Amino acid sequence: MAGSATLRVSHGIWVVLASFLVASLMLVMPLPDWLEYYRPEWMALAVIYWAIALPHRFGLVSAWILGFFVDVLEGSLLGLNGLVLALVAYLALSLYQRLRMFTMLQQASTVFMLIGLHQLVSFWVLTVSSQNTSPNLMFLVSAVTSAIVWPLVFYLLRYLRRSFRVV
Amino acid sequence: MTISKSLFIQSSAQGYRLLALVLVSLVLMFADNRFGYLSQVRFYASYSVTPIHYLSELPHAMSQQIADFFKSRDELLEENRQLEEELLMQQYQLQKIDHLAAENQRLNELLNASAIVDDIVVRVQLVSESPDPFRKQILINKGSIHGVYDGQPVLDADGLFGQVVSIEPYYSWVQLITDPQHSTPVQINRNGIRAVVSGTQGSLHEMVMNNMTGNADIEVGDMLVTSGLGQRFPAGYKVGVITNIIRDPGQPFARVTVAPTAQLDRSRNLLLVF
Repeated sequence: MAGSATLRVSHGIWVVLASFLVASLMLVMPLPDWLEYYRPEWMALAVIYWAIALPHRFGLVSAWILGFFVDVLEGSLLGLNGLVLALVAYLALSLYQRLRMFTMLQQASTVFMLIGLHQLVSFWVLTVSSQNTSPNLMFLVSAVTSAIVWPLVFYLLRYLRRSFRVV
Repeated sequence: MTISKSLFIQSSAQGYRLLALVLVSLVLMFADNRFGYLSQVRFYASYSVTPIHYLSELPHAMSQQIADFFKSRDELLEENRQLEEELLMQQYQLQKIDHLAAENQRLNELLNASAIVDDIVVRVQLVSESPDPFRKQILINKGSIHGVYDGQPVLDADGLFGQVVSIEPYYSWVQLITDPQHSTPVQINRNGIRAVVSGTQGSLHEMVMNNMTGNADIEVGDMLVTSGLGQRFPAGYKVGVITNIIRDPGQPFARVTVAPTAQLDRSRNLLLVF
């Protein structure tokens, strides 16, 4: 099985790339001001999914490069999203076997923890670099919305992965 | 044990890889935050995100075009009539302003002050806002190939909007004047008192005036304009109106809140000052 995976390593790569492209679009899509707080961390969700689904192909360096791209896209501190996405990918990769067995509710609560950590680490870094402007804990709300949309992301990406046979 | 091991991704190697990436990120962030070393890297990397900015702008541009296409003739005529009326009123006011500007120029010459130059402005469009709700930045559709430079002032029809903080080839980021990291040198239009107003955390429509003593001659409703000090913003653009003054005898300074005149959450058409 491992042999066939290495043989077809480039198979379906465009599905993965397209999902990241869509995630980055969702990341910058204009929203009303009050909704901004609730915007799920689409990129982190996509990273978690591909880390669970293709742990032999999707690694930390890919996650870091994606994060660098997000930094440039959002105009944030260079390296910040690389750091947090690599961290999320690391945790997802070390949990992937358990995550695959989990029920959807358990998965969603794990996603809540991962995204919460993602938000917390960026919050710390921004505080240390004195760029933090958040007056309260509203930055954690997106962890909740990310957990809520997780089943949607999961089933959609799994459907795509199965129909295009990305292995 | 040895058989089941092949089922796992080698986790010690992953750990070292994570450590290496964390270190790289920390060095990058330090270099980006403390020194400006990485602005060139960001500039070239931003070529890769240009298509995404373009795509995110597309729905609005298309809906605008479709709306234009289906506008009825009556609506257009009505709009045209309204605009003509507005133009007439503004031309009438301009006549007076032309006269005042000329007079002002003569008086300045008498005082040997430097001449006031008319600024060149270019119309730009807002493309998107910063996805981070705690950072008040917007993206505009002009970049380095259009000659945008760092620190360039941005206005809307009602007042000062912000300044350019980061430039990409085709787009640039503008920090709004109400961002907590932004301060604007101003003076009160009524009596010329100079001050600095800074953005606040949270609200998009509130700024505070720093270090105003309790007995300073300020009133609710005073108009603040840019003072031109600090050499970043040209003098004389509207910034905000004082909305509230709390004079607490126990505090060294009064707490003065200012509402920006620019429509920070509504304007899509902005002006870039050259």
